[in-house]
Amino acid sequence: MNIILRTEKLRVEFKSREFRQSPKVALRGLDLEINAGEVFGFLGPNGAGKTTTINVLLGFVRPTSGSASLFGIDVRQPIARQRIGYLPELTYYYKFLTAEELLRFYSRIFSLPRAEAEKRIDAVLKLVELESARKRLIKTYSKGMQQRVGLAQALINNPDLLILDEPTSGLDPLGRMKVREIIQRLKSEGKTVFFSSHELGEVETVCDRVAIISDGELKAVGRVGDIMGPRASLEKAFLDIVGYQPQSAP
Amino acid sequence: MNRARTFFLLLLALLVFCFGIAANLAPRFQAFENSRHQSDNFFSLLLGDSSRIFANSSFVEADAYYHSGYYPTIYDNNSNFQTPHIAEDTGAIASHNQGAEDEGFLGPPRDWLDAFGRHFIPNRHTHLDEGGPADDLSTSKEVREILPWLKLSAELDPENIKTYVVTAFWLRTRLDQVSEAEQVLREGLRHNPDNAQLLFELGRIYSENYDNPARARNIWGAALRSWARQQPGVPQSQRLKMTRENFDDRFMFEQLQTSLAKLEEKAGNRDAAIVRWEQARLASPNPDDVQRHIDKLKQKLPATVSPK
Amino acid sequence: MNNIFAVAGVVIKELYRRKDFYVLFILTVVICLVMASVNIYNDNEIIRYIKALCLLLIWISSLVIAITTTARQIPVEREQRTLLPLLAKPLSRPQLIFGKFLGCWLACGLVLVCFYAFFGALVASREHAWPLLNYFQVAFLHWMTLGVVIALTLLGSLVFAAPSSNSTICFVIVSAILCVGRYLDVMALSRQEPVRSLVYCIYYAIPHLEIPFEMRNLIVHDWPLIGWNFVALDALYLLAYAAAFLIAACLVFRRKAVN
Repeated sequence: MNIILRTEKLRVEFKSREFRQSPKVALRGLDLEINAGEVFGFLGPNGAGKTTTINVLLGFVRPTSGSASLFGIDVRQPIARQRIGYLPELTYYYKFLTAEELLRFYSRIFSLPRAEAEKRIDAVLKLVELESARKRLIKTYSKGMQQRVGLAQALINNPDLLILDEPTSGLDPLGRMKVREIIQRLKSEGKTVFFSSHELGEVETVCDRVAIISDGELKAVGRVGDIMGPRASLEKAFLDIVGYQPQSAP
Repeated sequence: MNRARTFFLLLLALLVFCFGIAANLAPRFQAFENSRHQSDNFFSLLLGDSSRIFANSSFVEADAYYHSGYYPTIYDNNSNFQTPHIAEDTGAIASHNQGAEDEGFLGPPRDWLDAFGRHFIPNRHTHLDEGGPADDLSTSKEVREILPWLKLSAELDPENIKTYVVTAFWLRTRLDQVSEAEQVLREGLRHNPDNAQLLFELGRIYSENYDNPARARNIWGAALRSWARQQPGVPQSQRLKMTRENFDDRFMFEQLQTSLAKLEEKAGNRDAAIVRWEQARLASPNPDDVQRHIDKLKQKLPATVSPK
Repeated sequence: MNNIFAVAGVVIKELYRRKDFYVLFILTVVICLVMASVNIYNDNEIIRYIKALCLLLIWISSLVIAITTTARQIPVEREQRTLLPLLAKPLSRPQLIFGKFLGCWLACGLVLVCFYAFFGALVASREHAWPLLNYFQVAFLHWMTLGVVIALTLLGSLVFAAPSSNSTICFVIVSAILCVGRYLDVMALSRQEPVRSLVYCIYYAIPHLEIPFEMRNLIVHDWPLIGWNFVALDALYLLAYAAAFLIAACLVFRRKAVN
């Protein structure tokens, strides 16, 4: 199996601003491997370390110890991000640019040849259904349209690995269906998708493997069916794994 | 219903309150009105006495323009720029400068930064009426560039005589704008009625430019009378004593008497001329030279009309 | 280099799509035309006071545009979260810093071309002369000065939290250098130790931006050209300071959280 994303004993600590407070540990020795061509779900409660993991993979945060690599290249090298696409949870882009100009800018950073860049721009704008608004300034877009621009910029370089941080957050059911379709399509093209989400129903539907992280520690990783085990749903399995104890009635 | 009644009662109370305040303040406003600023000058109204500071800055800026930007700041040695050269060169303003006029202020460079920086600033002492940095006398009308600052200085401080004198001098002598020079002096006289120095300069225009000796004589006569009225309790002999404090006063008297004397000489009125020269001798720093001139006159021309 | 130019292109687009430049340009034009229409003793050939006023307005406007545009680059990107998708691309942080610097600097260069073109047209309407080489010397060193200001502001934007505080501090520093930079050594002499040594250190440490600033007098009063070797030396001097500030900015940004 071709491993395209790997973390080894990844540890991230954030220094506390309070006097004499010990540092906050966001990740405690995370070991993760993701194979080419799979759709991988990254689950965990709020504050578990999902976004920190993604930030390390994208080079936003330096790990305190351990390592992370993409396509065999250390994540601290900018070239490691040449073949990835990233969709952040909150999508904001330059309001003074049009969608076309934004995509052209990003394609230039990926060093795409001009002719290929124009083809890719046309293709992704068609995919996210923003062709009619391509020459309008982004500041005139609705929230849904801005999210679609985000998806378009994540796909502009035809990435081999797509990293999505809560891709369906704030979307209506149609939007969520569209995102699911895109993920399925990418999988059928042999791309790898790594996404974090709270929508366990979606994760159950599209993911090949999932990892569950809680308090910075990897609690479980494996196929959806293996994780669920005898439990009726992924949600129940999730709650058990993270150690959720329902409060007894008074 | 209750709410509407409350609202109207409040409105009524407010109206009564406002009328009460107005009735109380009206007499105070009337007194206030009488102490309003009397000046019709916008800058004087806006800036008050600080307009004089700005006026002085504008005058100095005119001198800086006269030197094509080569001018000392408060950090430089400005002993040779105490009296702006635009004023010194008119011959009508007393000079407090030390050193020769063409001496600079820069001195040797203080360090390598200063030495390097001097290539990027005006670094030679030049005068605009001598062509400025080009040293080309054919363009000596460049001195016009000081006029905007002199005009601003006059607007900011209309009671500063020096500004009108200097402006009129350059307009008249270098720029051949005699009517404008006259307008400047008359503007100065509007703000400073009967000022001896302004009348003297106006007389010069009639004498040297309009060739109207009669008018010039009248104006210089008025200037002398104005000079005499300036310090009513002080006798003339006291005012003409050779002291530093008296310098400007004495200089004015000497200029007036000398100009009138030359006018009378030119008109052929020997006796009148001699009377004027004798008055001028009282104020002159070189009385012997003046006396020699009087003696020469007495030998030359026949006696004619006596002065008024 | 491709990435740097890509980032620079976006900055230039932002400048001409914002209103700042147009407002300042129109204000400058209006003020200069009004001042030029004043009747000074019926003489229509007086021009130097207009030149001085126009050049001063150009300097003020260019500094406002340079500082306010640069001060908002990184903080606003961070605040509006446009920094995350940008740095998720194969773009290193130093490339981002240099791209922002280049964009702001080139944008200010275009601004200067517009302003100096207006200045040249205004002056030519009275003087009927085009001393292009003189204008080029002044404009070129003006542009170099803006490079230092932009690099300083970029460094400030990484150190200070808000664009407004960064802008204010940069304005104060730049204004102080322009007004008294040349005389700090004279001021030092009149002080006692240790203030004297401190002022001397400041005198030698600061970039002497007042050197190009005072070149305005050469244009206003029609002084001849400066030697090109001195222009080149001053340009190198200013570039060195810009480079130093940029390197410092890269070092600070390396450790900075982006979210």
